[in-house]
Amino acid sequence: MSNFLNLLAAGVTAGAIYGVFAACIAIWFRVSNVLNLAIGDFAMLGVLGVAELSQVDHWNLAVSILVDLVGVGLLAWLFDWLVLHFALDRGQADHGIVTVFFYTFALSLGIEGVTLAVLGTDVRSAPAFWNGPALEVADFHVQRAGLLVIGLAIVVGILLWTYLRTTVSGRAASACGESVIGSRIVGIDAARYRRWLFVATAVLAALFGIVESPMNGFTYSSGPTISLLGVVAAGFAAFRRPGRAVVIGLALGIAEALIGGYVSTSYNDVILYAALFALIVFQPRVLGLSTVPT
Amino acid sequence: MVDGNAIVEASEVSVRYGKFLAVERASLSLRRGECVALIGPNGHGKSSFVNALCGLVARRGEVRLDGALVAARDPKSALRAGLVLVPERRHLFPALSVRDNVLLGGYAKNRRVRADRAFADVAEVMEVFPELAPHLDRPAGALSGGQQQMVALARAMAARPRIVVLDEPCLGLAEAVSRRVYEWLTMMSRQELTILLVEENPVQALEVADRAVEMYKGVLDDPEVVAAVQQAEVSAS
Repeated sequence: MSNFLNLLAAGVTAGAIYGVFAACIAIWFRVSNVLNLAIGDFAMLGVLGVAELSQVDHWNLAVSILVDLVGVGLLAWLFDWLVLHFALDRGQADHGIVTVFFYTFALSLGIEGVTLAVLGTDVRSAPAFWNGPALEVADFHVQRAGLLVIGLAIVVGILLWTYLRTTVSGRAASACGESVIGSRIVGIDAARYRRWLFVATAVLAALFGIVESPMNGFTYSSGPTISLLGVVAAGFAAFRRPGRAVVIGLALGIAEALIGGYVSTSYNDVILYAALFALIVFQPRVLGLSTVPT
Repeated sequence: MVDGNAIVEASEVSVRYGKFLAVERASLSLRRGECVALIGPNGHGKSSFVNALCGLVARRGEVRLDGALVAARDPKSALRAGLVLVPERRHLFPALSVRDNVLLGGYAKNRRVRADRAFADVAEVMEVFPELAPHLDRPAGALSGGQQQMVALARAMAARPRIVVLDEPCLGLAEAVSRRVYEWLTMMSRQELTILLVEENPVQALEVADRAVEMYKGVLDDPEVVAAVQQAEVSAS
């Protein structure tokens, strides 16, 4: 029983991480109709940046985090201004799923390449915010970083829910992805919503990476796996429902932990790819794969 | 020439899509409380003209509302001045509820308040559309075409417009629903709302309009130009 509870706790922690990345993907897709395949790379950039500044350059941790998050936000803002703005706001063409896919995929590859060149291949993590051994209640062990991750996920979930459900601005953000022309007619600046939510989700991903990195180290190539998990979880939520994406992310994390514990950790990837397969088979429309040639 | 009682003054408005000139130097003024029908065949620039008035497409020429210039390609500028468009094919937010669609009509004024307060602010609009009351929490995309048109009208009224531009409001609707739209138009024109009604069908449009102007080949109601264009067509054929 205690083994099960410990695996469950590990699964909830991992699931909270997947859930938040999935929510970031879902909320931005809701506004822009574009998948953010670079979300994991923003997390990686957050972790490696803080590790470099605080451990190699010996900056104060708070300053390192602040500078790092501002840098990630600035990068996201620049990408929107230099690429997405020209691609989405000025062109009149109806962008197909493949074209849209490559905007952020290219960003992901770019971040990975530059990070590899500048910071190398070492596994790194940001310093822990809450040092000490795992907390124990009877036979139940929870890592302190895991508790921080779960707490942060709950706070983010509540804030997102409040924003989308109770504010006019949240409704307007949803409206942008529903109809660009409709949103312009009522005076909503869809490009502005897209830009600021892209920046906000990039910063949030970096923050989550920093908080969870003491449990799992990051390398320059950690981003795509995180992004893929987020995309799978968000895909089951039709890419537009952050709340459901969090639940699916949690389920993926728990399934991964239980199978890793009772079967083998080698099967963790099987979970991911089985979920992706199920998504393609049962939810092909949200991936733009259901069009039948006529 | 400036009409002292004009609320909308569009002068020499041209719209071009690449090499194609959709609207050529069209001028139109609307007096306060007037209902004007903009008629003409499909594909002759009516929608392009009203989209240019409302700042949705790039244009040449000037649009003034009560003397103040409305910026080109800036729908917010037109909205601030009280000019609201009910577009062809409605362009609602299909996955959002009817309530959300209507409250977003008042987005320009209420964007910083809570959603429930924003809806309360525009709730009186719903009194004009009692048929929508049972559907407030349903997604707009799940409603019939006629109900969706009512949502589009309610969304426009939530912006508290001074001028409403309706682009083919009865396109694709059943006869009974078209009647309902025209009842609403009649009621609004009695309330001194300024209306520009784009219609392909002049007979229907003139039921409510005070006057009609015709757009033909992107040219607005200059009888000599229209006749010249038609003559050129006859000669060519």
